Amino acid sequence: MIKFHPSEQHLVLYTAGELSPAMLMMVGTHVDMCSHCQAHVRDIEQQLARKLFGDVEKQPVERNSSLDEQAMLQAIFNSQPATETGVVAANDSLYLEGNHFKLPATLARNSHRIGDWSRLPGKLWRAPVTVGGEEMLNFIYMAENASLPEHTHKGNEATLVVNGVFNDENNEYRDGDFVLLDNHHKHSPATQNEDCLTLAALEGPLHFTSGLSRLLNPFSSLFFK
Amino acid sequence: MPPAQPDNAEHAAELLAKVASEQSRAAFSELFRYFAPRLQAYATRQFGNEQTAMDLVQETMSNVWHKAHLFKPDRGSAATWIFTIARNIRFDFLRKNKHRQYDLSADDLWPVLAETNDSLDDDYALDDDLLLQQLSVFCEQLPNAQRTVIELIYIEGKSQQEVADALQIPLGTVKSRTRLALQKLKELIKHDD
Repeated sequence: MIKFHPSEQHLVLYTAGELSPAMLMMVGTHVDMCSHCQAHVRDIEQQLARKLFGDVEKQPVERNSSLDEQAMLQAIFNSQPATETGVVAANDSLYLEGNHFKLPATLARNSHRIGDWSRLPGKLWRAPVTVGGEEMLNFIYMAENASLPEHTHKGNEATLVVNGVFNDENNEYRDGDFVLLDNHHKHSPATQNEDCLTLAALEGPLHFTSGLSRLLNPFSSLFFK
Repeated sequence: MPPAQPDNAEHAAELLAKVASEQSRAAFSELFRYFAPRLQAYATRQFGNEQTAMDLVQETMSNVWHKAHLFKPDRGSAATWIFTIARNIRFDFLRKNKHRQYDLSADDLWPVLAETNDSLDDDYALDDDLLLQQLSVFCEQLPNAQRTVIELIYIEGKSQQEVADALQIPLGTVKSRTRLALQKLKELIKHDD
């Protein structure tokens, strides 16, 4: 049972495509694992679509002379369906230290972005996931009985448990749990008898004022409590 | 409001079904006349550039025309489906403008138009039998020493230390053979298309 979820605001920005690349991967992977958030995303898609297409009476559409409907219709009827190019086969297997992990769909579709594992002190391993953008996205693997020294975060850090369990002073986090820590949090993550594969992103600023999420402004009381 | 506008969800879904089953140009034209101007108004606000806005409209509606068979009425309304197509196209437009080769692509995040949209989600819950069968084929391609280690660990469930004891080789050797074997398997899997 997943206990920790992304905020409503994260889900809205994910659905609109307006999070940083690293956070899109984080939230997308959580949504893969969480039926509750899947249902939520479907609702948000519907809300955004309703805002975008509106209804005729409230939102009269100005006929814009630049849209030549007949010409565009003809162009569409004459066009060929796009051939699937550059589609990288999804690979949902991840191997590390003799362990096999099955990756959720978002990660599987982006498995070609996963770099090589490197070992860190204290029974930890790290593999970068190259997604572009300012933020770092990494797999962090903690073996059994591993721990990180207490630390704070410079920026916000999001952690998603892909497989296993880890705990800090406050809670225990299991498969699918999504934890957001800001720079006020001090914590010492550790594993006990079970290992833990997590995905971790350093979060950048969110862009509430641009793009599709602006469509939601009238609903902000619903979404940004 | 006229009863049969495409903003009536049922009617829009019927039109899409007609586009999918009989390539009905009339049905598509009706959808187009409803959705295209709204997409254009939105895209013009977004991009502040009429040409880019027109490109988004044309690309979105072309996908509606060619991929109508991928619309699944049980998963949401026609308007929602068209919104997700436009969302993906906008995302990729913004990405291309930045010329960044490593950037995520919309289809990798939201496979709205993937022909086999459901298979991966189902796979996630699937058992490992198929994977194991596939893996055993790959295992035969490993050098003997590596294959033995892999079989003892993954089929017999021994720990690396137990394998070292059984084969009377150092633990480090077991670890390196495991690592090399997994690397090799990963390559074999990657190139298995």
